Amino acid sequence: MTHDEARKLLHAYVDGELDPARALELEAHLADSPLTRAACERLRDLSAALRADAEYYAAPAEFAARLAAAVPPEPEGKPRRFAPPRWLPSAAMFAGVALASWIAATLLVRPGEDERLATEVLASHVRATLSGHPFDVASSDQHTVKPWLSARLPFSPPVTDLSAQGFELAGGRVDYVGGQRVAVLAYKRRQHMIDVFVWPSAARPHEPKLARDGFNVERFAKDGMEFWLVSDLNRNELADLARLLADRSAL
Amino acid sequence: MTRRAALSERRQRFERVVLPHLDAAYNLARWITRNDHDAQDVVQEAALRAFRFLEGLRGEAKPWLLAIVRNSCLSWLQVNRPADLAGFDDRVVETLASEEDGPETQAMRALDRRMLNEAIAALPAQFREVLVLRELEDMSYKEIARVADVPIGTVMSRLARARRLLGESVRAVSNAAGEGVKR
Repeated sequence: MTHDEARKLLHAYVDGELDPARALELEAHLADSPLTRAACERLRDLSAALRADAEYYAAPAEFAARLAAAVPPEPEGKPRRFAPPRWLPSAAMFAGVALASWIAATLLVRPGEDERLATEVLASHVRATLSGHPFDVASSDQHTVKPWLSARLPFSPPVTDLSAQGFELAGGRVDYVGGQRVAVLAYKRRQHMIDVFVWPSAARPHEPKLARDGFNVERFAKDGMEFWLVSDLNRNELADLARLLADRSAL
Repeated sequence: MTRRAALSERRQRFERVVLPHLDAAYNLARWITRNDHDAQDVVQEAALRAFRFLEGLRGEAKPWLLAIVRNSCLSWLQVNRPADLAGFDDRVVETLASEEDGPETQAMRALDRRMLNEAIAALPAQFREVLVLRELEDMSYKEIARVADVPIGTVMSRLARARRLLGESVRAVSNAAGEGVKR
């Protein structure tokens, strides 16, 4: 690989978008070229600086509330401020086909227990995020959150502070999922909120990953507890948190 | 199904798939319009559009919604601040000189927060948006391509360009501030 080729691929490499074969080639080049290595470091620094310091403009709470109220609760009788775009007929047809195949797909796959739980934890996560009330006890101290939860639940959930690993404990709440009261631990990573649902259950094997509506869901069972992680955080980092929790959770 | 039931179902679906990405929608609109008031107008319009065309949603909700937000931003700029559209125009942006093999970025650690944010805001819009989607929304090239309605190759080249321009402007600012560039 030439120097120029390597420079072109560097961005995709740093962004984790390079296919494995090309990534290996590039890594071989990096090992030989201090210059490209330095360029790679600078790119990583830039990315880290942006993620840490660039302003993230979250929707102001009062704006979000106003917006929720502005969305029509009843049939759209009057035309709104904008005219339907010209692409609407073809889009509608496409949507029709997509909808039909989606319905066919859902009818063929009967939603099971996991599916129902996924819907419930996701709904709880979204409700908490939307209401601007993501936890009932706000604390980054595991020794505050754990007793608070234990006092309100028939079990004592493991609570681990992982701020050293980049997952800051923000607080906890109690919710109702799968017909029982469950503990919810709220972690923060950058602007992302992660809810970790914990409840006692007989361990059973299941698929660890799910993705729904732009959210990622991770789950595992350990020491008689079931853990469900829900967030809009990317899949890899959510899996990291699941691993950390699985390693560190002690009852 | 009655009309009312259908509507309430639509509303529920909207709340489930669209509202969770409201922050991302706002962040993108705010970075494109560079103004809170305008961002609110644009996002409100985009959300109503999303509600109306919910059936058009296939695949992931986030890129779908952000594509609507981006289009709403463009229409809004066209009416209110047409000069700002130049940042989306390849012909105008091409004239920005930039050496192809220059340093991608300068040392960023010494950089202060305000300076960084001003440098991002000063990027031409087509570079600013890919940078925001990649670094702040953590979206894949494929998702960004869907939002910006360009091929993945264009996402890659715009992102590289965005980082290079940002590096240059940061270097210029720190030089002007008399600090020089460390490392």
